[in-house]
Amino acid sequence: MRTLLTKLALPIFAITITALVAGCATKGVKNPSGVPVTHMTADEQGFVAGTGMESQDLVMVADKMARSILGIPQIASAAAPPTIVLEPVDNQTRFPINKEIFLTRIRAQLNSKARGKVMFLARNQMEALEKERNRKREGQVTASADPTVQEFKGADYFLTGTLQGLSTRTKAGTSDYILYDFHLIDARTSVIVWEDSAEMKKQGLEDAAYR
Amino acid sequence: MKSLWQPTLLAVVLSLAGCATTKKPVVALTGDIMVDGPNAIANGPARDRVLWQYRLAAAAMRQGKFDLAKQSLDDALLTLGGIFGKDPDAKKARSYFHAEAKKTFIGEPYERSMAYIYRGILYWMDGERDNARACFRSAEFEDGDAVQNQYAGDWVLPEYLDGLATTKLSGDGSDAFKRAQANAKGVKLPPYMPNANALFFVEFGPGPTKHATGQYKEELRFNTAASPVTSAELKVDSLRIPVAPTDDTGFQATTRGGRVMDHVLGNKAVFKSTTGAVGDVALIGGLTTAAASHDRTAQQVGLGIALAGLLSKVVSAATVPAADTRAWDNLPRYLSLASVPLSVGQHTATIQFLNSAGQVQTNLTKTITLNITTTDRDKVVFVSDTSVTPQTL
Repeated sequence: MRTLLTKLALPIFAITITALVAGCATKGVKNPSGVPVTHMTADEQGFVAGTGMESQDLVMVADKMARSILGIPQIASAAAPPTIVLEPVDNQTRFPINKEIFLTRIRAQLNSKARGKVMFLARNQMEALEKERNRKREGQVTASADPTVQEFKGADYFLTGTLQGLSTRTKAGTSDYILYDFHLIDARTSVIVWEDSAEMKKQGLEDAAYR
Repeated sequence: MKSLWQPTLLAVVLSLAGCATTKKPVVALTGDIMVDGPNAIANGPARDRVLWQYRLAAAAMRQGKFDLAKQSLDDALLTLGGIFGKDPDAKKARSYFHAEAKKTFIGEPYERSMAYIYRGILYWMDGERDNARACFRSAEFEDGDAVQNQYAGDWVLPEYLDGLATTKLSGDGSDAFKRAQANAKGVKLPPYMPNANALFFVEFGPGPTKHATGQYKEELRFNTAASPVTSAELKVDSLRIPVAPTDDTGFQATTRGGRVMDHVLGNKAVFKSTTGAVGDVALIGGLTTAAASHDRTAQQVGLGIALAGLLSKVVSAATVPAADTRAWDNLPRYLSLASVPLSVGQHTATIQFLNSAGQVQTNLTKTITLNITTTDRDKVVFVSDTSVTPQTL
């Protein structure tokens, strides 16, 4: 008996250690120490993704729209830089979004790439601007020009857009198609002088545990 | 003998030391959701975070803490919207040896829909009608894969609000209205009034809860208790508006049909049952053989079979087919809406809740003072039979 147990000692020890190590390895916790912050460019898809709008879509769409606007004669051949007011995007998809972000990106792109070719009016700051002008008119603060003269510019164009979606959900998964449409409207004639669109389709299927 | 016990003892100590690192965070509950919610979200298991965010959001809305509700729902909906593809916790939940409750909680479709409905109401409060509409569309979308088509996407209020938001955004909401009316069996929905600038979202009654049945608790079931409140009445200025329920979360919970996960749990139950039965047979047969036989070889074979049976029993005992009964347990049973045009100025609204006999439950009556500063923007009022009262909005 003693001989048998002595012979078994080493294999038992080895098996226990193996089981222990194997147990640790199969804890099933992926990235147990977490994932360090990963720098990614805004136009690449990260390891966290859904079927909704994401940063890479925003960058792609905004860049495409900015390039497209710059090419139209009303902007490229204008005698004086036209003034543009941004109007909120109409979100008709099933995804709640920060509606300002597309127009902010397009404006930033246009201001950066086409310096001086277009000017944007800060209509969303009108309240603060009017208060400042009134202070100047009342002499509460200094003015570098005659504050009684109306210098707030009117818009030549309105830039706005519509996001529309088509979504499907079945046992086979979820599919979301989104059409990003932007247009530039002549403020004097109401004519749409430019329109461009981008589209995206994403599909995914969640783990069976969630179905 | 000495050479056996020393390595064995070392192995046992190592094993126990390894076990010490697997402790789960335990959160002490006080019964106050406004305390337990934030505590569980911050310190509880990550897989329960969305559950607590849901619960906290509903409670915060009833206490008028809308910023807290937004924060909770936004985070929960981020998780809900990003569950595609491989998920180690979900994989674990599907395995034989882990419970379904190991997966990250996102809720059953009726719970997911309610998260979007609440967020939509909050967006509307902030004047973002199109984002509110997006949420109502997502609420309907979450209900889109019911087994029977007649129950797929059959919420009334999200569809109605989709059309109302579209109408208020100068669009055509008539299609959504028709779909809502088709879903609202027996209830005639009021036509849209674009000038109705005061929207009252009303909810009442206790919502569905979950329990498990079956030999191994592998079958998910829903309880819908009889509601002490079955309708409401809104009084504002000289108006008295009856508020009938448009949606029943109990109905939504029970009409989804079988889940894919139910098949997985069914398989687990069969596996547990089979391995248990095989273990019993092998254990009894093996031990009987070993005891009855005088032949050493037959005894060894018998003991081997018994050992195999024991292993089978261990495997059976380790198999966990139990269904996940974690539930968003502070949901309402019924949802409804009333809308009225109100002029600029102060108005007092009273919401009374009625039982099935039409009697007012006076202890539940809510009073809300509304300050309408403009008729261009909607004043959105959220009222539950468990809301704090009085409120000033």
